[in-house]
Amino acid sequence: MPRIHLGDWVNDGVDWLVNHMAWLFDAIKAVVDGMYDGINAVLSAPEPLLLVGILAVIAWWLRGLVPGVLTFAGFALIDSLELWDDAMSTLSLVLVATIIALVISVPVGIWAARSNTVSALVRPVLDLMQTMPAMVYLIPAILFFGMGVPSGIVATLIFALAPGVRMTELGIRQVDKELVEAADAFGTTPRNTLLRVQLPLALPTIMAGVNQVIMLGLSMVVIAGMVGTGGLGGAVNEAIGNLDVGLGFEAGIAIVILAIYLDRMTGALGRQLSPLGRRTAAKARAAVGGLKIFSHRLRPTVAVVGVVVLALVAGGMGVFGSAPASDTASASTDVGKGKQVDIGYIPWDEGIASTYLWQEILEQRGFEVDTKQYAAGPLYTGLAQGQIDFQTDSWLPTTHAEYWKKYGNKLDDLGQWYGPTSLELTVPSYMKGIDSLEDLKGKGSEFKGKIIGIEPSAGMMGMLKDTVLKEYGLEGEYEVVDGSTPAMLAELKRAYAKKEPIVVTLWSPHWAYSDYDLKKLKDPKGAWGEGDDVHTIARKGFASENPEVAKWLKNFKMTEEQLTGLEAQIQKSGKGKEQEAVQTWLKKNPGLVDKWAPVAKSAKGAKGQGEAARTLNVAWFPWEEDIAITYLWKHVLEDRGYTMNLKQFAVGPMYTALSQGELDVQFDGWLPYTQKSYWDKYGDDLSDLGSWYGPTSLELAVPSYVKDVKSLEDLKGKGDTFNGKIIGIEPGTGTMNLLKSKVLPGYGLDKEYEVVDGSTPGMLAELKRAYAKKEPIAVMLWTPHWAYSEYDLTKLKDDKGLFGKGDTIRTIASKAFPEQYPQLTKWIKGFKMSEEELAGLENEIKKRGKGQEEEAVAAWVKENPGIEERMAPR
Amino acid sequence: MSRLQAEHLYKVFGRRPEAAVERLRQGADRDELRADGTTAAVIDASFTVEPGQIFVVMGLSGSGKSTLLRMLNGLLEPTAGQVRFDGQDLTALSARELREVRSRKISMVFQHFALFPHRSVLDNAAYGLEVQGVPRAEREKRATEALELAGLKGWEQSWPDQLSGGMQQRVGLARALATDADLLLMDESFSALDPLIRRDMQDQLLELQKRLKKTIVFITHDLNEAMRLGDRIAVMRDGRIVQIGTAEDILVTPANDYVAAFTQDVDRSRVLTAGAIMADPETAYGTKTPEGRELRTAQDVLDAAPATVSADTPIIELFTPCSTSGVAVAVTDADGKLVGVVPRARLLAVLGEPMTPADQQQDAAGVPAPAQAAPAQAADDAASSGDEAEGKVIAGA
Repeated sequence: MPRIHLGDWVNDGVDWLVNHMAWLFDAIKAVVDGMYDGINAVLSAPEPLLLVGILAVIAWWLRGLVPGVLTFAGFALIDSLELWDDAMSTLSLVLVATIIALVISVPVGIWAARSNTVSALVRPVLDLMQTMPAMVYLIPAILFFGMGVPSGIVATLIFALAPGVRMTELGIRQVDKELVEAADAFGTTPRNTLLRVQLPLALPTIMAGVNQVIMLGLSMVVIAGMVGTGGLGGAVNEAIGNLDVGLGFEAGIAIVILAIYLDRMTGALGRQLSPLGRRTAAKARAAVGGLKIFSHRLRPTVAVVGVVVLALVAGGMGVFGSAPASDTASASTDVGKGKQVDIGYIPWDEGIASTYLWQEILEQRGFEVDTKQYAAGPLYTGLAQGQIDFQTDSWLPTTHAEYWKKYGNKLDDLGQWYGPTSLELTVPSYMKGIDSLEDLKGKGSEFKGKIIGIEPSAGMMGMLKDTVLKEYGLEGEYEVVDGSTPAMLAELKRAYAKKEPIVVTLWSPHWAYSDYDLKKLKDPKGAWGEGDDVHTIARKGFASENPEVAKWLKNFKMTEEQLTGLEAQIQKSGKGKEQEAVQTWLKKNPGLVDKWAPVAKSAKGAKGQGEAARTLNVAWFPWEEDIAITYLWKHVLEDRGYTMNLKQFAVGPMYTALSQGELDVQFDGWLPYTQKSYWDKYGDDLSDLGSWYGPTSLELAVPSYVKDVKSLEDLKGKGDTFNGKIIGIEPGTGTMNLLKSKVLPGYGLDKEYEVVDGSTPGMLAELKRAYAKKEPIAVMLWTPHWAYSEYDLTKLKDDKGLFGKGDTIRTIASKAFPEQYPQLTKWIKGFKMSEEELAGLENEIKKRGKGQEEEAVAAWVKENPGIEERMAPR
Repeated sequence: MSRLQAEHLYKVFGRRPEAAVERLRQGADRDELRADGTTAAVIDASFTVEPGQIFVVMGLSGSGKSTLLRMLNGLLEPTAGQVRFDGQDLTALSARELREVRSRKISMVFQHFALFPHRSVLDNAAYGLEVQGVPRAEREKRATEALELAGLKGWEQSWPDQLSGGMQQRVGLARALATDADLLLMDESFSALDPLIRRDMQDQLLELQKRLKKTIVFITHDLNEAMRLGDRIAVMRDGRIVQIGTAEDILVTPANDYVAAFTQDVDRSRVLTAGAIMADPETAYGTKTPEGRELRTAQDVLDAAPATVSADTPIIELFTPCSTSGVAVAVTDADGKLVGVVPRARLLAVLGEPMTPADQQQDAAGVPAPAQAAPAQAADDAASSGDEAEGKVIAGA
C-alpha cells in the first residue's frame, strides 16, 4: 500500500493556518478571553457564600426547596474544600463554551432542519468533532490560540457543539407538519413560523441539547486542564501528576457538584422557558399531593428579588472586601516594576522546587509571577508560542530531546542549573540479589516479564527499549509497559506495600528514593549514557526583553544538597504551601537570593562589573556584516556579564541618536566614504573606536571555474563567454553608477558588456543558479560578502584602481562611551576580523535563517575557538 | 361573478413535472407516469364556486382532493392551470402577496385540527389575527366572538389538550372564522370525529352558514357528509374530477359506473328530497282514494293526501304516510300550492339501483323521474347488490 501522507497534509494545513490566519485566531482569542474574563470576574467577585446563596435561590425557584438546600450544601462544600476559585473559573469556562456553542449550534441546527443538503453535510462534520479524541485537537488549539483559557474553551466548544446542533435539528424536524402547514395557511412568514411555532415547540428538545452541551463541556474541561486552563481541570491534572488521590477526589467531587447543579437547573429552565413544559409541570404538580413544603417553589418575582438583593450585597462586599495587595519588593530591589513573568512547570519535584524558588526570588525583585503546571508537550508548545516565559525543568540532551528537536529553534537555552541527573531501572531494596541490570537476566518470570514504564513519548522510554534492553540481552524476556509517570508510581506504591517484585523506570533526582527504600540497578555497560542536565529554557525574546532575569537564570546553579533540601522542605510543608516552604528554606539559607539575583549596586564591585551593570544600547541595520558583528558582540559580551539592548535603525536616525547619547554604540560605520556625510555632520559628538574590518572593496567577481579571467582586463574579448552580460544589483546605487560610468569605459568593456539592472537578491539567485550549472557568469559584488565563503569566486583585479579605494568598517560610539565603558572600549579597539571569519559567520547566519542569529553565532563561535578571548580577553 | 374558479389545474410531483403535464394533456394516464417515478396528483381540474356556496370535493384517499385544496390557497403551486379568487389569479402572485391573501381572505380548517399546543384556546383562535398584525385587545375580542359562534364560550383560557376532539375542531373552526375570510377551506375537517359529534358539527356548520354566508370548499371522503353539506359536489377519482353536480344529480344520474358504485350505499332516504322525486300533480288526477273517490283537482289531491310536505323534506319522512294510504303524498310550495305528488310506487323505485346513463336516454320527460324507468323490484335487490358495489369502489381506490 502506498503511504498516504494525511498527517503531513494536516501539518501543512495547520502551519498555513497559523501563518496566514493569525488575525482570525487573535480575534477569536480576544472575544473568548473577554467573555471569560467578564464572566469569571462576576462569578469570583462576591464572597463565596453569598454566591452560594444566589445559586441556592435559583435552585429553589426552578426546582423547589429541597434542591435549593442541597445546592447550598454542595457549593458550601466546594468552598470548604478551598476549590471555590477553581470551581468558579471552571464554571466560567463552561458557561462561555456553552454560550458560544449555542450561538453556533442553534442556527446551524435550524439551517440543517430546513435543508436536507445542509443536514447531510453537517452530520459527518459533527461525528468527526465529537468522536475525534480530544487531545488531538487540543494540540492545534495551542498552536492557534496559545496556552490557556482560549484553547481550552475552543477545544471544549468543538467537543460540545454536536448535541446542540443535533437536538435543535431534531426538535424542529419533529414539530407536527400539520402545525407548520396551519401556520403557513394563515399567511405566517417563514421567519414567524420558525419563531412562533417551530422553536417554541422544539424548545424542550433544544433544551435537552443545551443540557448535553453543558455536560459534555464539563467533562471536556478536565481534559482542557492540560493546556493550562486552570480551574478544577487544572486541579485534577495537578493531582494526577502528583499522585495525590485525595486532592484529585476533592476536585472531582467539585466537578460532580457543578455538573449536577447545571444539569438540574438547565433541565428545569427548559421546562420554565417552554409553555409546553410549564403545562406538563403544572399537571404533574396537580397530580402529586403530599407534603407541599418540599416541593414549594418560589414565584419568579420573589426569586428575582432574592437574587438581586443577594447580588447587590455580594457586589458591595466584593468592592469593599478587596483591599489592594501590598507590595513585596522594596524600591531598591524593585527590578521588575510589576512586570509579569509566566513560569511553566512539569510536576516533577525538582521542577516544582526550582519554579517556586524563582517565583519567590522574582517576586522579591518586584516581578509579578504566575506559575502554571503543564504536561511536558504543552509546556514546550506554550514556550515556543511565547505564552510561557520560561521553565526550569528541561532535561537535556536526552529526555526532552524530542521537544528540543521540534521547538529548539524557537527557544533559548539559558543553561543548566543542575546536573548530571541519571536514568535507571530501579527495584525495591527487598529484591535481594538484583543489584545491576545484568542481574535481571533470567529473572523475567519473577517480575512477570514486565518493566513498568512511563509515558511512551518520553526519551527515556525510547532509550530503554532501543538500547538498554538490547545491551543486556533482556529484550524478549521483558516487556516494557507503556503508561504514565503517576501510573508507574502508583504501581510501585502498590507493589511496595505488598512486597511484590517490581522493576520500574526511574530517574534521579526523584522523591521516590526518599519515600521508599529502593535500589538503582547498576549500569556497568553504560547503556543509559551520560545523564541529562537540568536546563532552564526560555521563550525566544524573553532574554532580550528581560536581560536582568535572563542573566540571573544563566548564572543560576544549585547543588544537590540545596535541591534535595528544598525539595524536602516542600514535601514537609505539603501541597499548596510550596511558596511558604521556599521562604522558610531561604531563611535557613540566607544570602542565596542576592547571590542568584544580584541587584546592581552603583559604584560598587569590580570595574568590569560596574560597566556591565548598565545596559548597552546597540544600534544595527539589516546589512549582513552588521547583523553578524552585532550578534557576535552580543554573544561575547553577555557571556562577560553585559546586557545588550539591540535596536534596528536606519542610518540617519542612528547617527542622530548616537550623537545625542541615546544610543551607546554601532558596529557598522563605513568610513571614510560611504557614511561620510553623517560623519561630517555628527563626527564631533561621536567617538571612533577604530576599524574592525577592512578594507572593504567593490569588485566584479566570477566563479573560479571560469579560467583565465583574473582581472578586469581579462574580460576583454570574452563577451561571448558571458553572453555579453554583467549581472548588476539595484540600478541607481552608487556602486552601479560607478560601474557603468567609470569602470567599464575605463577598461573598454562598455560596448562588449551590458550591465543587467536587478536587485541584490536577484543577482545572488542568478549566481547560485549559474554556479550550480558551472556556467560562466560575472556579477557585481563587494567585500565583505558571504558569497565569497559560500562559493569559490575570483575577485577580478582592478589594476587601474577605477573602483576607488575601499572603506574600512569602524565601530562608532557615543561621545561618552570611552569614559563609561573603559573596558569595553579597550576590547572593541583591540578586535579585528578577517574576511574569512566574517564571511563564515555571515554564511552561518544566512544558513540558519531569520530569527536564528544567536544560534548561528553560538555555533560559529564553537567552530572558531578562542575568538571570545580575542575579543574580550579576561 | 364566481368567487372561486379553478381552470385546468394540474399538480405533478417528481422530476420534470411540466413534461409530465404535456403527456397528460396528450392522453397519457396516471399509471404510465407513475412508472417513470412521477405522480400526477391532480389532472385537469376545473370548477367554479359561487359566493355563499358549500362546494364539496369528494373522493377516496389518494384521489388528489387534498392536493387540489392546497392549490386553492397557494400552499401548493399548481404545475399548470390557474386559480382565480375574486377574479385575481393566485398563481401569478408573489410569495409575499400570496401570504397576504391567505392571512386575510382565505382560511383553513384541518383534519387533525392543527391547534398550537403551546397556545391557549383564545390565542389559537386569535392566531390568524395575530399574523395580520391586529392589536391584542381587538384580536382577543374578535377571537372571543368567533369562539362564541363556534359554541365555546367560557373555554377561552383552556388549553387545547384539555378539550375533546369535537371541541378542538370548534377551536379550529373559530380560528378560521375569526379572520373574517370570505373563503373557508375545510380539509376532511370532521373525518376524525365520532359519528355523533360529526353530525353535530355538520349541523352547526350548516347553521353558521345560514348566518355567515361564507364560500366554503369542503373536502371529504364521506358521501353522506358530502350530500348533507354540499350545494354542489365534485367527485374525484385518480386525480380527475369525474362529475360535478348537486347531491341529487350525482345520486340520480351518476356520470359513470364509478360514481354509481360510489353512491351505492348512500342512505338515499335521507339525501333525496320530496322535491327531487315528485311527479307532476297531474299524474295523481284520475287515481282513486281507498274509498273509491276519484281525484280530479289539486284541491282533491291535497284533501286526500295522507301528508302534505314541502319540497326539501327528506323522503324518509314520506314512508309512514305512504304506508297508511294508497294516495300519493302531496308536495306544496311555501304558499301551500300543490307543486307535485309522490306516489308509493315511485317512493320505492328511487331507493333501488340508480339509472345507468343508457336508461336516462329513454327518459323523455326530462324531469328527474327515475321511477318511470327503474323497475320497481330493483328495491328488493338493493341490499345484496350494495355489497358488490362497495367491493368495486375499494378496488377502484
